[in-house]
Amino acid sequence: MSSQTLTIETEAAGSLAGEVAARSGQNLNACYQCRRCAAGCPVGDDTGVTPDRLIRMILLGEKEEAMNNLLVWKCVACYTCGTRCPNNIHTARITEALKHMIKEQHLEPMVPKVANFHSAFLTSTSHFGRVNEMEFMGIYEMKNAKNELTKGGGVKAIVDELKAQMGLGKAMMKLKRIHFSIDRIKGMSEIKRLFSTAKK
Amino acid sequence: MEIAYYPGCSLHASTAFYDVQCRDVMGRLGFDLKEIRDWNCCGATSAAKTNDFLAVALPARNLGIADASGYAEMMIPCASCYSRTLLAHKTLEGDKDLRDRVNAELSEKVQGKIKLLSILDVLVRKVKSGEIAARAEKKLAGLKPACYYGCLQTRYPMDVEIGDSVENPQGMEMVCGALGAEAIEWGYKTDCCGASASVNDNDLSVRLMSNIMKDAVVRGANCFVTTCPMCQLNLDAYEQKIGERYGISERLPVYFITELIGISMGIGAAELQIDRHFVESIELLKGLNLI
Repeated sequence: MSSQTLTIETEAAGSLAGEVAARSGQNLNACYQCRRCAAGCPVGDDTGVTPDRLIRMILLGEKEEAMNNLLVWKCVACYTCGTRCPNNIHTARITEALKHMIKEQHLEPMVPKVANFHSAFLTSTSHFGRVNEMEFMGIYEMKNAKNELTKGGGVKAIVDELKAQMGLGKAMMKLKRIHFSIDRIKGMSEIKRLFSTAKK
Repeated sequence: MEIAYYPGCSLHASTAFYDVQCRDVMGRLGFDLKEIRDWNCCGATSAAKTNDFLAVALPARNLGIADASGYAEMMIPCASCYSRTLLAHKTLEGDKDLRDRVNAELSEKVQGKIKLLSILDVLVRKVKSGEIAARAEKKLAGLKPACYYGCLQTRYPMDVEIGDSVENPQGMEMVCGALGAEAIEWGYKTDCCGASASVNDNDLSVRLMSNIMKDAVVRGANCFVTTCPMCQLNLDAYEQKIGERYGISERLPVYFITELIGISMGIGAAELQIDRHFVESIELLKGLNLI
């Protein structure tokens, strides 16, 4: 009969849990694994890892697993887990914190399109102060194309992606749901200052 | 009465017709919406997922402008803009260091004075009781909307008083009732449409929306009604794909709450820009003799 012993690297566990707790503002230690979060998570079927599992990984110091799973990237920030949690733990804040850590440590995002989307959105905001969807989608598709060429599905993946988005774009244009004028705000110097302070 | 108004990027672009409807309908209900000057993007969920400082600082600039405007209250119809701005407001209220850091960069400082209102706050709590029903020249008989709240109208990642049930909100049902429409009971009113996942993780978003569609159809809805521009765009734009992939033959128009109020007030379909929908949305209203 074989037996397994659970080993916990207490020091590593403490530092990962401490960092995630500080960044997310969530008290991970309050989780008693009731799994109400898992029951309500709309993406749980796709991610395998549910909020309760993610919290446990972090508490056990399993850094590799905590930073490399689909929940971090597929979490839609619907806040269902957090509003149902008897101890008020918002896992959407935890997946946000992990995304920030992954970015700062220059690690590969597991779902590059999600990272590209949010980065393109903010880049567009930093240019005009408001989001211009034509520019924003352009930046997003450039990032995706670069990614597909270097490590993804190659030209076919790029063509498929562009076809899908252009189909939607054309339909939106027909319905006058895309605007072409550039909405540049007057207070751009303030916006630039906020973006540069954010980098510090 | 005059109140400050933050439309946000969606209402200036993909759902510009929601902006038109808000101004018109709110005006007739006695609220003169004063757009705050030179507002910027709230950063939406993208800022929250990328940088903690920007997630607060971007909406903070708008809060500073709103505070300086002199109005006591500001309506934000977009659920996402409302959520991000409210979270920034609450965060800054409780964190003086961060407030000082943010204010150091702003020409109009956050004072914490402005009270933020969602569109449902205004419709359910600010508009005089009975006013919506009194203004509804045409009762929307035969319209059976599935009131779709999505995520951000009731759920927030910190303690926020919403004045409605988190799991089973009734605000839109009350408005629909006042208009003479018969809102259905259903189980997916606060489920997520996937939001930006419709762009960056489309299969996931389409699957989430298929659950929403199926339940609405099975419960006998003949349209959706929503307050969120992201929910509106997603459901409206992808219904065809959802239907084809998940075997749903019905197509339900996805109206904004302001569209239904506008129709009941007798505002024309052209003025309300009801032709801006992906799913054919005029025939249902014509068939019920509402336009």
